[in-house]
Amino acid sequence: MAAPPTETRRDLDAAATSHRGDRVFNRGITVAAFTALLVLAGIAIFLGVAAVEAITTQGWSFLFTTEWKVDQGDEPVAGIWGMLYGSVLLSVIGLVIAVPVSLLLSVFIVFLAPRRLGRAMTNVIDLMAAIPSIILGLWAFYLLSPPAEQWQFLLNKYLGWIPIFQNDSGNFNGTPFIAGFVLGIMMIPIITSVSREVLGRTPPELINAAEALGCSLWTMLRHVALPYGRGGIVGGIMLGLGRALGETIAIFFVLKLVYDINWYKIIESEGGSVATLIVATFGEVSGPYELNLLLAAGFFLFVGTLVVNVIANLIVQKTGRSER
Amino acid sequence: MSTAEYEPTTEYESTAHYESDVTVLEEQFVEPKSVGPIELESQDVSVWFGKRKVLEGVNIAFPKNTVTALIGPSGCGKSTYIRTLNRLHELIPGAALAGSVLYEGKDIYDTDIDPVHIRLQIGMVFQKPNPFPSMTIRGNVLSGLKLSGMKRDQHDDIVEETLTSAGLWNEVKDRLDSAAGELSGGQQQRLVIARALAVQPHVLLMDEPCSALDPTSTLKIEETVRELSKDITIVIVTHNMQQAVRVSDYTAFFLAAENEPGYVIEQGPTTDIFGSPQDQRTLDYVNGRFG
Amino acid sequence: MTQVLDREQIAEWSAQKPQRPWTKKPARLQAWIAVAALLPAALVALIFMYTDIPGPILLVAVYFPLQLLAAGIAAVATKGRQGAADSVIIVLAVGATLFSFIILTSVLGSLIARGLEALWGEDGFRSSFLFQNNVYINPSTPLEYGGLGHAVIGTLMIVLIASLIAVPIGIATAIYITEVRGRAVPYVRFFVQAMSGIPSIVAGLFILTVLIVSGAMNQSAFAGGLAYAILMLPTVARTAEEVLRLIPEELRTGALALGSTRARVVLRVVIPAAKTGVITAIILGVARVIGETAPLLLTSLKSDQTILNPIADPIAALPTYIFDNVALPYPGAVTRAWGAALVLMILVLILFTLARILGRDRLNRFR
Repeated sequence: MAAPPTETRRDLDAAATSHRGDRVFNRGITVAAFTALLVLAGIAIFLGVAAVEAITTQGWSFLFTTEWKVDQGDEPVAGIWGMLYGSVLLSVIGLVIAVPVSLLLSVFIVFLAPRRLGRAMTNVIDLMAAIPSIILGLWAFYLLSPPAEQWQFLLNKYLGWIPIFQNDSGNFNGTPFIAGFVLGIMMIPIITSVSREVLGRTPPELINAAEALGCSLWTMLRHVALPYGRGGIVGGIMLGLGRALGETIAIFFVLKLVYDINWYKIIESEGGSVATLIVATFGEVSGPYELNLLLAAGFFLFVGTLVVNVIANLIVQKTGRSER
Repeated sequence: MSTAEYEPTTEYESTAHYESDVTVLEEQFVEPKSVGPIELESQDVSVWFGKRKVLEGVNIAFPKNTVTALIGPSGCGKSTYIRTLNRLHELIPGAALAGSVLYEGKDIYDTDIDPVHIRLQIGMVFQKPNPFPSMTIRGNVLSGLKLSGMKRDQHDDIVEETLTSAGLWNEVKDRLDSAAGELSGGQQQRLVIARALAVQPHVLLMDEPCSALDPTSTLKIEETVRELSKDITIVIVTHNMQQAVRVSDYTAFFLAAENEPGYVIEQGPTTDIFGSPQDQRTLDYVNGRFG
Repeated sequence: MTQVLDREQIAEWSAQKPQRPWTKKPARLQAWIAVAALLPAALVALIFMYTDIPGPILLVAVYFPLQLLAAGIAAVATKGRQGAADSVIIVLAVGATLFSFIILTSVLGSLIARGLEALWGEDGFRSSFLFQNNVYINPSTPLEYGGLGHAVIGTLMIVLIASLIAVPIGIATAIYITEVRGRAVPYVRFFVQAMSGIPSIVAGLFILTVLIVSGAMNQSAFAGGLAYAILMLPTVARTAEEVLRLIPEELRTGALALGSTRARVVLRVVIPAAKTGVITAIILGVARVIGETAPLLLTSLKSDQTILNPIADPIAALPTYIFDNVALPYPGAVTRAWGAALVLMILVLILFTLARILGRDRLNRFR
């Protein structure tokens, strides 16, 4: 094969913007596009400084102890272990409620409901996601709490021998169970919308193949739809978790904050949450040092939710790409 | 046919003169114009997408105010080639090229050449009509002026003039302010031609402008092309060999074997390519034996 | 010999009526379904009438297992073992649907019922509640006086400031991803996604440290708007990105072939073609933040007066107005909180519906 005489390859990627006006435009847009990074870095730096100060004055016990005595005595002591653990405990309770409900909801919408009902339900669930958390908090305080106290009383009465249903105070308001329940309600629309989409993208030829083999709905779900959408569903659950970890106001009115750690008694009137701690303490903050401790707590909340959220997005993205 | 037969060479082995059995009447041929100055010329152009080389060593000269048809089976690089002529090729990530494209004697890929300026002089019409949906018919015709920042007065005259050249004026003169989306496919394509003409290009590239259209619209566009070629240079990619015969002065035949770059197998006056091709493959192609 | 169409048969065929034989269920199956659906409900209704076990407990502890059992038995009887798992899923899925539906109804129902107490008095619709502010109002003041007008103005101001900041940056980010297509696209998308996970309280803390603790300014509408902007930006950017992606590539190449610069392609062709979608992105961004409370508790505090200066003084907003009134131990204040919550929810609903309508329009456009 005879090659043509001039064979110097000219790569053209850079040439695409050789118009001067475009270079200015591109530069401006690029700068704006990095705002997200700027904000993330800003948060990490500003709150990180506070965190470093908290750790240097309090030691690592800031993360691993449960006392908070800042305005009394001369030596301030602060530890957010109870709050960190509380945030996780509440989220886990929320997940226990939200995950099965969301999965069943999406199965109903995708495989069982007639098209129109399914579409209507999708809208209703999106609407659920749009309810501001303050309204959910209001509802939780006035409408959920009173009956929920009754449920917990009965749970304790009949199932009190199970450790998680212990209650020594006889007081059933402000429990992790109620707060977790509210978080669960907040997570349902998030998890549902992701898993609904993932299940809805199950290739119809796979479903048809399963049907042609005489699969029932259950076997089809188990062997086709759920394995196919597993990654996306896990990602959706993590997205919900990220949201729950950082939620403040919805649980502010229905959680009794105590600094001590409550390991497992989910219907005892003691709980913790980093985000709620910040709002609750900010109103009566004793001075710059305590404010700094709150900022430090915010830093750890930020890091925690960031990690969960990044993992969730990576999972969702990966599954989204693999089927394209 | 095996791919080995299509091993392209720079010099065609076959010099035998084949008797063509293509059934076109002599009158259908366009009398090639006397060769004027060369307006656009590609020299040894090779094209890559990433690592894959899709075209090799394309040398074609486009004389001023002529119509040149690029023919060949799909996937042989015609559309890719035409996009190198006004620097649209570079919009594809990983695009690369060798050789040069000379417009009025200057390489349009020189680093100090503004692609925007080139595209303004070398307009393009695409396979699928792409009028801007958010604009009216008038707005579409004038959009080129607005988008390129070009100043021309007497907008109403421009609209009438270009729509007339595109053969659309009579059909739309009463509804210039209605949405472009209401036009039929053929009308949209002529609107797009009018849009390209409004910026007064010297060269018009047409990438299979009729492939999505019905026969009547196709004929209208062919008429338009003939008419336009009095003033501008036209390069047209087409799958339809009858169309090449009807509209073009010169024809270049592209061919690519599987997984190999495309080459220009034969080029020359359209009458010769269709009437007395020198290469067996050209003969087979213009007679519809493959492709 | 070939067969020729028999003309007489055409009349016969034209008399045919369309039928859907596959929709008919056998009578035996129908009977089983009816029994399986009615029996547990009837049984539980009887227990409810003749004992004093509370309703919800009965529903969860008796009705639900009973219904599962009944559906399972019916499935095994009609479709064999394989049907049992299906019936359980169906009952559970319907249960989950009902659960969500009950919660949503309870939230919206209570909101309307309690909210109207504030908005609707014996004298009819209380416009005073919408338009007056909270000056000279204490928790025991009758509901005829005072309202959330100042908070509505505050919310509008804060949202406007947030939009002015977040919308241009968000759309620019989307343009970077879909139009400029620079080398950093994957990173920018990653950062935007990470940003969407920032808890609202953290956004508030950030603005608090940068602007307020540092002494640069007071708690104010501007500070609140900045905190809102942080939460709004990712929503705007991601929605706008999706919308711009829908614009066909031919429009861009078409404009470039006319000798347009890339900047003009974006501003004159792409954005106008995606106009409704971009508006949807903005609306969704506003809807995302309008009910956020936590950041405002730190950055704009509260006020009883109508504040019009966005940079000098603390200002009230709807969410913080609700928050402050719930915390007061007076029934009047709580009613005001519900009224404000209803107003806030109506605002959210309007935005939500608008986004839906525009979104539908946008999807139909290029398909």
